[in-house]
Amino acid sequence: MRIHREPSMTIHQPGRRRFLAGLGAAGTTALLSGCVTSTPSGTTSSKGAVTLQSNLSAPQAKAAMTDLVAAYAKQGSGRASLNTVAAETFRTQLPTYLTSANPPDVYTWYPGSVAEAYSSKDLLLDLDDVWASPDLGQYSKALNTLCTASSGKKVFVPTTYYWWGMFYRKSNFAKWGVSEPKSWDDFLDLCDKLKGKGITPIGLGAGGNTAWVASAWFDYLDIRINGAAYHRELLAGKHRFDDPEVRRVFDRWQEVLPYFDPNGTAVAFQDATTSLLNGRSGMMLIGTFFADAAPKDALDDIDFFRFPVIDPKVPLAEEAPTDGYFASARTGRRDQVVDLLRYLATAEAQEIYIKGSSGTALPCNPDAKDSGTALVKKGRAHIEAAAEITQFFNRDSSDALQPTADTALTKFLAKPKEIGAILTDWQRDAQKIWKA
Amino acid sequence: MSVLTAPERKSPTPPPARGARRGTGRGRGARRTPPLVLAFVLVPLLVEAVWVFWPALQGFYLAFTSWDGVSAPRFIGLDNFHEMAGDATFRSAAWHTVLWLVLFGGLSALLGLAAALLLQQERRGVGFYRAALFLPVVFSLVATALVWQAVYQPDGVLNQLLESVGLGSLRHAWLADQDTALYAVIVPALWRQIGYVMVLYLAGLKGIDPALYEAAKVDGAGAWQRLRHVTLPQLRGVNAVVLSVIVIDSLRSFDVVWSLTRGGPYHSSELLSTYMYSTAFQSLRLGYGSALAVVIFVLAFGVICSYLVRAFREAD
Repeated sequence: MRIHREPSMTIHQPGRRRFLAGLGAAGTTALLSGCVTSTPSGTTSSKGAVTLQSNLSAPQAKAAMTDLVAAYAKQGSGRASLNTVAAETFRTQLPTYLTSANPPDVYTWYPGSVAEAYSSKDLLLDLDDVWASPDLGQYSKALNTLCTASSGKKVFVPTTYYWWGMFYRKSNFAKWGVSEPKSWDDFLDLCDKLKGKGITPIGLGAGGNTAWVASAWFDYLDIRINGAAYHRELLAGKHRFDDPEVRRVFDRWQEVLPYFDPNGTAVAFQDATTSLLNGRSGMMLIGTFFADAAPKDALDDIDFFRFPVIDPKVPLAEEAPTDGYFASARTGRRDQVVDLLRYLATAEAQEIYIKGSSGTALPCNPDAKDSGTALVKKGRAHIEAAAEITQFFNRDSSDALQPTADTALTKFLAKPKEIGAILTDWQRDAQKIWKA
Repeated sequence: MSVLTAPERKSPTPPPARGARRGTGRGRGARRTPPLVLAFVLVPLLVEAVWVFWPALQGFYLAFTSWDGVSAPRFIGLDNFHEMAGDATFRSAAWHTVLWLVLFGGLSALLGLAAALLLQQERRGVGFYRAALFLPVVFSLVATALVWQAVYQPDGVLNQLLESVGLGSLRHAWLADQDTALYAVIVPALWRQIGYVMVLYLAGLKGIDPALYEAAKVDGAGAWQRLRHVTLPQLRGVNAVVLSVIVIDSLRSFDVVWSLTRGGPYHSSELLSTYMYSTAFQSLRLGYGSALAVVIFVLAFGVICSYLVRAFREAD
């Protein structure tokens, strides 16, 4: 709307009265023409390729999706057209996609409470037919539960998962003469040693547009101190952020805060991982997705260790977000959607994706081979050793709750002394979301 | 929108269309509007009604509801506005918007006028400088923001520049510090706006009769007095345009803030517009977001209305 600025010389002046009359007329017409925000009820046409809306916009992941769609077309039972949308746009537009009259058919997204929120509003396609396929029949019980909505219907097809850990470069740790810590105290010692060598011990990357990365620290400290069960209940609104349990999380955090990158809230995680790879920072709590943008030759040098255990009495939990697909309940191509989703659940499809991407994701299909690198083998063992699995802050709660965490955690990182007030504000903001 | 704000109040020559219309209108007797003209008015009005007024009215309705964008909106009366009264983030966003209006608006008007006065004389190479100042207007604000993001990075141009002139102690994470974030965001917006305001003032300066300056000179007026008593009063018309442009631009400033800081860190660069967006589309509280939009609308509409009333009064 920049047009309004152009000064025009020959303008037709309608006069004030007529202009106002027109305005009134327009208003009346608008009022009479129907009720506000009526829900459209149309469906997509039943012909043509299944539209697959993807948020995997990192170059390697996007290339892998293109391979996958091509392989699906080649095996002959149907066709899919891939539509890749920038991750942030995808996230904000998803409710609009799902409620529109003519929605895309299949979406990349997350199982658990995020899918449940849409499913409880009848926006997701019932996928029991897909789960009847032999491939999904052998998926683990945990995945089964994760993809079942409260209505008892299956609404999600998981394909890959990845893990979070403290990542570092093997060559750098060797150069600095340090090794993986086993306990929280070891971890603090390691940080101290690195700081003594003039290296930033812990990279963060919660600046730019990726403030959510800081939530990984909150999640991990909470599941290490209070346990996964408490963590899930907290995110579901059954506990309060200003409870003493949550306060203990931040007391622990304060112990490591001096070792954090002072620019932690100024640079995005992509820049922070670059610093990690260049040896400017020592380690970083991050998910394997960061490797999608890492140079291939650095991949063999990347290693990770488990977020140190703080209280051995708390059952070991790890963050292992599961990715996959759900479909719109308003699709007009139900049969084609079911066919595509069955294909995506096969070992073949998951291997194609893993081969095309950075190869750090693990397949959900037990028959599918992972990329077989030492890192991935370690990652698989890392997850299998865990008694409980959490997804991530937004996936275990909702995307709407994430901004409240971003505000609270960024403020804590800048002003750790004000933690009392920060938690009070966080609880107040979170309540507005839970209530909505 | 073009119909509403387009007329420039003080055109140096009266618009020829008006004279012509008056002539033919009298010839035909009563001021009957030809059907073609009526169509020209009604068709755009209809389009405007469907694409602008109708969604705007929906926004008004949504301001009285609680809506998550997925299920049906629930009518809750004035609750959203009650909440706003006690919302500290809203208050700080409103305060930042006022600060933005004063700093961004005031500085762009002052510096734009200064640049126009400096570059109004036809000298050699003046075209180059005008073009250079106007160039930022051509870029999209999001692209501008990306460039400035690189400038403000912890290892960015600005910090390196400070280091090289021995001011290394001033190095700063400009966008991540609550004390500097808002000002760091105003600079790119200003960088862009000055060129635009300059062009408006240049056009105004061109319209001033040189005879006025000569007369003032003959009366013994110095350069300052000529500026104070000839230039500024003659620019009154342009000032009104500049004022409304600045107020409207301030209230809708969004893209540059959103791409640089998203209103953060912890709401320290939050404007009403970014708060509205994040409430509606991130927290998915579309009812409260609409209530915020209504407040922004009322503020902007107040300015536009007072401008329109003045414009029509002088035109009639």
